[in-house]
Amino acid sequence: MSDLPTYVLERVFDAPRELVWKTWTDPELLPRWYGPRVETIIHRLELKPGGLWLVEMKWGDNSNYQRVEYTEVTPPERLVWLHSSSDAKWNVIPSPMMADWPQMLLTTVTFEDDAGRTRVRLTWVPHEASEAEIACFAAAMGGMDKGWGAGMTLLTELLAKLQT
Amino acid sequence: MQSSVRWEHQRRRPFDLAAIRRWSEKLARSTDKHELTPRLTWGKLKNNKTVMKPSGYAHRPANLDAIFAALADPTRRSILARLAAGEASVNEIAAPFEMSQPAVSKHLRVLERAGLIERDVDKQRRPARLKAQPMAAAVNWLDEFKQFWSSSFDELDGLLDDLKKSEAKEAVE
Repeated sequence: MSDLPTYVLERVFDAPRELVWKTWTDPELLPRWYGPRVETIIHRLELKPGGLWLVEMKWGDNSNYQRVEYTEVTPPERLVWLHSSSDAKWNVIPSPMMADWPQMLLTTVTFEDDAGRTRVRLTWVPHEASEAEIACFAAAMGGMDKGWGAGMTLLTELLAKLQT
Repeated sequence: MQSSVRWEHQRRRPFDLAAIRRWSEKLARSTDKHELTPRLTWGKLKNNKTVMKPSGYAHRPANLDAIFAALADPTRRSILARLAAGEASVNEIAAPFEMSQPAVSKHLRVLERAGLIERDVDKQRRPARLKAQPMAAAVNWLDEFKQFWSSSFDELDGLLDDLKKSEAKEAVE
């Protein structure tokens, strides 16, 4: 398990932990920050293990659907869920943009009290993924090993060259 | 959206190669060809012969794994660098390498499958050229994925400020 590519994002918010927890779990507050520059519509939010969070992100005539299944809910310190792209009927589908993107990402969010502020740590790990999906995720998130990083640099250089 | 080409495996039905070729040539000329891939289904010709024929287009999602596997090889990276200067035939690509033409062709097929290059089907020398759009799409999409969360966190920062202010206001009132 430990050798699976993991992506980590950490941010300290200047607010008490209970308040930060509320913004992640309250269906009124979630759409006010989740999904910037799009209209975020929460179709369902069942905050319990096995519960679903169904979210639609709309921009113009386009919609993107995400299906989240909570696996662990420990207020106010820990949320774990399985994250996937879905169709409008909430069936899990491959990423519309990337053939080998892992269909399910195990997402863990921890909320840690830091002298009145809150440290939020978000990690993603491919869940029950194929070799190709794991490789794709590793390549995408970069820095997993030097080979992928070099590939990304080359891509960026080639693109820059082609656009001039 | 589900991808991509749907093949229906049925026996004793000939491929209409000429039709597929004509159609793929048409596809190669179309402006948004980088984004699209043929969708083939069984159809009937006038003489009631059943053939596979193109029935539409489907979006082809970038296959990042194949792209990076293709980029892992130094020869293929050199080929891409060469093609960044302009299209070239197999012979022209092979010239600077101590490599047979079939070996270069093999590398080109890997690059083609990854969607990094395309080759003309209708010309004798089949020049290869870089395909920027699938690469750009993949790179952009990844940027967006990372952006999604960092921008969301920026929004959350602002929301928490607002919430703290309104709580303080309520406490005063």
